[in-house]
Amino acid sequence: MSDRLTGGTGTSLIGGAEARASRSLAVLLMPIAAVGAALALVPLWLGGSRVLMGVAVLGLAYACYTIAFNVIFGSTGQLFLCVGALAGIGGYGGAILADSVGLPIVASILVATLAATLIGGLLSFVAVRRSLGVIFTGIVTLIFSLSFDALVLGLSDLTGGDTGRLIKSGADTFLRDRIPPYYLMLTLVLVFLLVHGLLRRAHVGWAFRALRDDEVAAKLAGVDVARYRVYAALIGAAMLGLAGSTYAFTEGRISPTTYGFGKVDVVVVVMLAFGGIGTLFGPIVGAVTFTIVDEILIEFGQLRQVAYGILIIILFLRMPRGLIPTVSSLWRRIRGLEGSGAAKSTDSAAGKLEAVSGEAQSAE
Amino acid sequence: MTANILDGIVLGFQLGLLAAGLTLVYGLGGVLNLAYGQMAVISAMVVAFALDAGVPALPAVGLGLLAGGLLGLFLDLTILRPVYRLRGEARVLLSLLLTLGVSFIVDGFLNWRYPLKALTLHIGGGAVEILGVPMRRGSLVASAITLVTFAGLFVFFRYTSLGRAVRSVIEDEEGARLVGIYPNRMLRLILVLSGVLAALVAVTRSMVTPVDTTSGLSITVFALIVTVVGGLGNVAGALLAGIILGIVNVVAADLIGSYISLIILLGAAAVTILIRPAGLLGVKE
Repeated sequence: MSDRLTGGTGTSLIGGAEARASRSLAVLLMPIAAVGAALALVPLWLGGSRVLMGVAVLGLAYACYTIAFNVIFGSTGQLFLCVGALAGIGGYGGAILADSVGLPIVASILVATLAATLIGGLLSFVAVRRSLGVIFTGIVTLIFSLSFDALVLGLSDLTGGDTGRLIKSGADTFLRDRIPPYYLMLTLVLVFLLVHGLLRRAHVGWAFRALRDDEVAAKLAGVDVARYRVYAALIGAAMLGLAGSTYAFTEGRISPTTYGFGKVDVVVVVMLAFGGIGTLFGPIVGAVTFTIVDEILIEFGQLRQVAYGILIIILFLRMPRGLIPTVSSLWRRIRGLEGSGAAKSTDSAAGKLEAVSGEAQSAE
Repeated sequence: MTANILDGIVLGFQLGLLAAGLTLVYGLGGVLNLAYGQMAVISAMVVAFALDAGVPALPAVGLGLLAGGLLGLFLDLTILRPVYRLRGEARVLLSLLLTLGVSFIVDGFLNWRYPLKALTLHIGGGAVEILGVPMRRGSLVASAITLVTFAGLFVFFRYTSLGRAVRSVIEDEEGARLVGIYPNRMLRLILVLSGVLAALVAVTRSMVTPVDTTSGLSITVFALIVTVVGGLGNVAGALLAGIILGIVNVVAADLIGSYISLIILLGAAAVTILIRPAGLLGVKE
């Protein structure tokens, strides 16, 4: 891992101007590799404790969910409030296929992921067909979440109902060791980041940005809005199914709260909003920060939720665009002010514009 | 079948009342109050503590309603100030996120401080026969309160100048401003009203099932669904949607089984939204 780092970290690109056409593949890979290298060191630090490694694996699962939600909501503005349900289809589907049907684990994960993908795509297709706005897409997907929850509780002989289901498959493999699950989930995080990064660079990414920024203009410019929305939902849902399913096999036990609305969807929205909606690395920043904060505040029990409430309010009042855009526009403003006239390129001008609009947004 | 439909209507009244407070605030101000269920829970706790302190039932309920109204006023004066400066979808999103924060604070605090506290109002006396069906007295009182409340809302919006002023803001905020109505004052009024309605939800609900500190999220979610099915900002639509969904739920529960009936209720809501995005009684924009 470390030899890939020698080329520099490329931090200035994190969340930076996304419309830069000339960046090469290396510029995309470098920061992802840096994130991977940094996160790969975590077991050296926490590896002794099974509990803390469990927390870290869950944190990575949240990072996966948040990247997926970012692909769907951040890229194309579809408020999918069924992140937990889609991950749960992966998790419960995988567990049932492996234990009750007897498929190999990899096949179970893939089939369950496919199911989540198709359902996510279908939800998006319906929402697009009926041209539902942000809030209505949110409500319809929320209804889907609640239905999934009711189904899991109702089909208790398959799902274990309220108490949850133990997963027997993979019990004596590396999946239940202390450290390997961490690297498995980390691989998923990096692959998801890479996929999202590549998407942003490809013509799909241009279409995503166009339709997110101005749907009507995008339509007029010939972007097939409906098709790209469904694409984003398919990709995001596949990520959710895969991450949810993999997490289930490393955890060995799943229950309705593992994929519950309050436990997954709400948390993912907060993580993404904190890191920066639509930025490549926002999900990582959000997931890592909240996993650490959650662990620090663990002794406060229920009072943690109060702290989150206060944090959410301050966050959305002070920096509604999230941490990465706020910090990067601040950084660009500082650089723009310090640099000479020549250094004030279009880049810093754009940064200032962004910063000004950000100020206007928070001042309003 | 008669029994099912009567039970469904009783449940429908509950759902309709649930949505009334939320739909008014959304329709009028484009503010989606996700702390709505928590307002109901706080009011329930106020009533429960008043009862514990020996206050008789009616004044205790009065205190609960007062608490609900004050909570609405408090939200309007604090957290919603920055929300009012935005317009359209940005306003909905910011209000949704900020009130989500409020709901976290309330839930976290209540579950930490009073984890086992719950409000149950016992309405004495046995079952009452209606159309040959024995009905629980608690649900009947709850339904009666709901009916009176909706009648009151109807009269307020149709026959008082203040109510008409509120409706004018729902229909056309700029136009209302031009004829000398302050939209923000109307909004404050409606938030107080919505708080009182949330408290009423808590009170009527506690006559049928206990309202505890974790009830907030489910109250908000069901209020939201009924609101959307009924048409945003439409009180009559909320009642109609509540009754239809209530009957669907009870009939499905009787015919198939309880967890599928919830799914059928949710499915009915989803189908309505997809067929009529403006809601049952909503007007297409």
